[in-house]
Amino acid sequence: MWFLDFFSNIFEHFSDPKKRIFLGYIFISIGIAFFWLILQKKLSLRQAFWKIFDKKVFFSKSSKSDYSVFIINRIFTLFISPLLLTQMAIATIIFHLLHKIDLFNVSVFLNFSKVWIVLQFTIFVFILDDITKYFVHRWMHKWPILWSLHKVHHSATKLTPLTIYRTHPLEGIVFSLRGAFTQGTSISIFVYLFGNSVDLITILGVNIIVFTFNIAGSNLRHSHIGIRYWNWLEYIFISPAQHQLHHSIAEAHHDKNFGASLALWDWLFGSLHHSTDIESLTLGVDGSENERSHSLHTLYIKPLGEIIFYSVEKLKILKISICQFGIRIQNKFYALVKQ
Amino acid sequence: MLSNKSKLSAVGLLVAGLSPLMIAGMAYADSSNNYGPFPVTVKGYEGSATNSVSYSGQIARHVLHDSLKKLASAGDGGSNAKAAEAEMMAYFAGSDKNKAIISPASKDDYQIKQTLMNSLSKGKKLSNKSYKGVVNGWPGQMTGPEVLEFMIKKAAMTKGGFDTSTGYNYPQLISKFAMGAVFYNQAVDNYLDEKLAADNKPNSKPYKDGKHYTGKEHVWDEAFGYWGAAAHTLNLSAKESYEVAKKKNFAVSDANGDGLIDLKSEMTFAHAYYASSFDKGGKTNYLHTVTQAFLDGRKLITAANGEALTDSERAKLVAYADVIGENWERVIAESTFKYAGSVYKDITKMEEMLAAGEDVSKTFAKYSKHWGELKGFSMALQTGKHNLGETAVKLNRLIGFGPVLLNASQVTGIDSNGDYLKDEALSWGEYKLHMLKVQKLMIDKFSVVARSKDQTANMEALADKLGDSDSAEND
Repeated sequence: MWFLDFFSNIFEHFSDPKKRIFLGYIFISIGIAFFWLILQKKLSLRQAFWKIFDKKVFFSKSSKSDYSVFIINRIFTLFISPLLLTQMAIATIIFHLLHKIDLFNVSVFLNFSKVWIVLQFTIFVFILDDITKYFVHRWMHKWPILWSLHKVHHSATKLTPLTIYRTHPLEGIVFSLRGAFTQGTSISIFVYLFGNSVDLITILGVNIIVFTFNIAGSNLRHSHIGIRYWNWLEYIFISPAQHQLHHSIAEAHHDKNFGASLALWDWLFGSLHHSTDIESLTLGVDGSENERSHSLHTLYIKPLGEIIFYSVEKLKILKISICQFGIRIQNKFYALVKQ
Repeated sequence: MLSNKSKLSAVGLLVAGLSPLMIAGMAYADSSNNYGPFPVTVKGYEGSATNSVSYSGQIARHVLHDSLKKLASAGDGGSNAKAAEAEMMAYFAGSDKNKAIISPASKDDYQIKQTLMNSLSKGKKLSNKSYKGVVNGWPGQMTGPEVLEFMIKKAAMTKGGFDTSTGYNYPQLISKFAMGAVFYNQAVDNYLDEKLAADNKPNSKPYKDGKHYTGKEHVWDEAFGYWGAAAHTLNLSAKESYEVAKKKNFAVSDANGDGLIDLKSEMTFAHAYYASSFDKGGKTNYLHTVTQAFLDGRKLITAANGEALTDSERAKLVAYADVIGENWERVIAESTFKYAGSVYKDITKMEEMLAAGEDVSKTFAKYSKHWGELKGFSMALQTGKHNLGETAVKLNRLIGFGPVLLNASQVTGIDSNGDYLKDEALSWGEYKLHMLKVQKLMIDKFSVVARSKDQTANMEALADKLGDSDSAEND
């Protein structure tokens, strides 16, 4: 029964610690927000409460469309997921390839201690996951076709933890392939080199590093609580306010802070921007918050139209270039004949 | 009036009198679950037999096989080759003498009822009941009995059945292939196939004139005999059936409580043993599924009471036969899967030891033993009712004719003198990849579930731990 799968899929997002919006993480994020507002922003408990549960945020048109997209995308996920390449398919291909090329003597690696191997695997998976998220995110902004899709996420003018699911289904496929690639690569290489010693350090079944980030308030990245870190720390870890800046419409903030957990990649590749006060930011793509920019048509159909339009335009340019090339060849041919 | 002393004596006598009945009752937890006894239903039978179940010829062949396996390691490296070969051939191709049962044999307090072959069945042999087709998994384009005889001759010339120059472990090769070529082939491709036809061994006639069982009763019993399960298997857990084969649990093995193990009904043999070994892991239920189908089929035939089976009864019987054939095949596929995993692990271990400059001779022997089991089971898999076609080609090519040796060579064929030809082999990395592909082939084509020694299980476990890669989170 697909609708039972559908409901269990929704429930799973709140009950599975592997998911970002697991209720445990949400509650911890709320706690962190209280601490920040009371200790740093000097608000009273009551003021902090109304700030956190601000109905202007949670009942805004933008947020309402987030909720709709979250629900609708679960249906897409049910039907699209089984068709996608899984991490095991990629892991198997790479695992077989490694046996085939037989590049080095595997036995060299079998003597490492189990603790060392497990630690290395846990860190490797996290790093590879985070750096590929950085690059895929960067491409989402830089390539027009991908930007048409990613704009759906950026069209949010209010941020809530559910905004992470404000994603076009085609973009979801890109994310899924990225995940399959990173996990498949990590698993196959490590199992090839270290055999059955490979394992993941987990808490509640989640990679300990991912778990740490999640209990450190990762849900606040998409929220109206602008927690900022010390300047030096924002070179290493992305603060919630740094990500909120990534959603700002100001030109100076465009294409900044692509990172997911680590700011290192932004720093290394020149896209880092330190946080500013969230109250000074206007979020979204063009700052408008009219009914149409959050409509399901705008979020699901318009990106496809843009991609088709863009592709047609490119094909026209290609056609013109080919014609011009043909004319040049023709002219040269005539010139040769005349000689 | 009885005195107190007399009362006690009477109670004592009563208890003593009832004890054997109580013990027998405990041993037969549920006699309706036993494969036999079943009444005689042949019309017009005038003899004294009351039990129509008979498969002692099949048990005799199990014992011939077990004994042959033991003898395959009797060679001393050449000097006793002729005698060793003759002794093996006596069990393989038959003997006029009443040969001793070499295995299963009594040990300590585990006493077996039969010690001589004729006490099971006279004149039985394996050679005339071996798969008659060409065995493509073995060099030389030989038939089943030719391959087994070839292996016996080679085994006789080795020391302990192991040929270090080729990596062949003959006891394993002979045993695992013979189990398929004789038991599996005879059961699924003969008794449970053409002999289930209406006009072949009909239920309305005795199997042979004067016999106390009908055609169909005996056909079905013979197939059950080849399966190798003890008659009271359905009263035992898979673990207990496994212990019966290993002679480790006398209490559950001795179903009738007579203090002796009757090989005719109280022992687990061959593929039933392998089924129990997988089932005790808890993921599969091959042993009981197959045995139950045999029992249900036998009850159906018995209920026909010596009349010819109707079309619908025969259709039901064929459905039971399909359950048996399918699960039996999967038991052999599970075994092939398991030993491909063992070979993979052994190669990794040898690579590790060689890198450390250690002596690998013991590990190499273990690797050869596992390879022999892999090869034997993979060849057995091809002796069933169906032509496996492309699957068989893949399986034979992936495993090759011989294990990859330490000097990176491998048996590639045999010459006109019957000597092995060797050539450059794949790298160990590539051969390990072949083992992974064998495991994948068993999953894809036979849907194996137990998956013992699964070499990609760790990858799957890690993938599970990392969670779905399909989350559409926009960080």
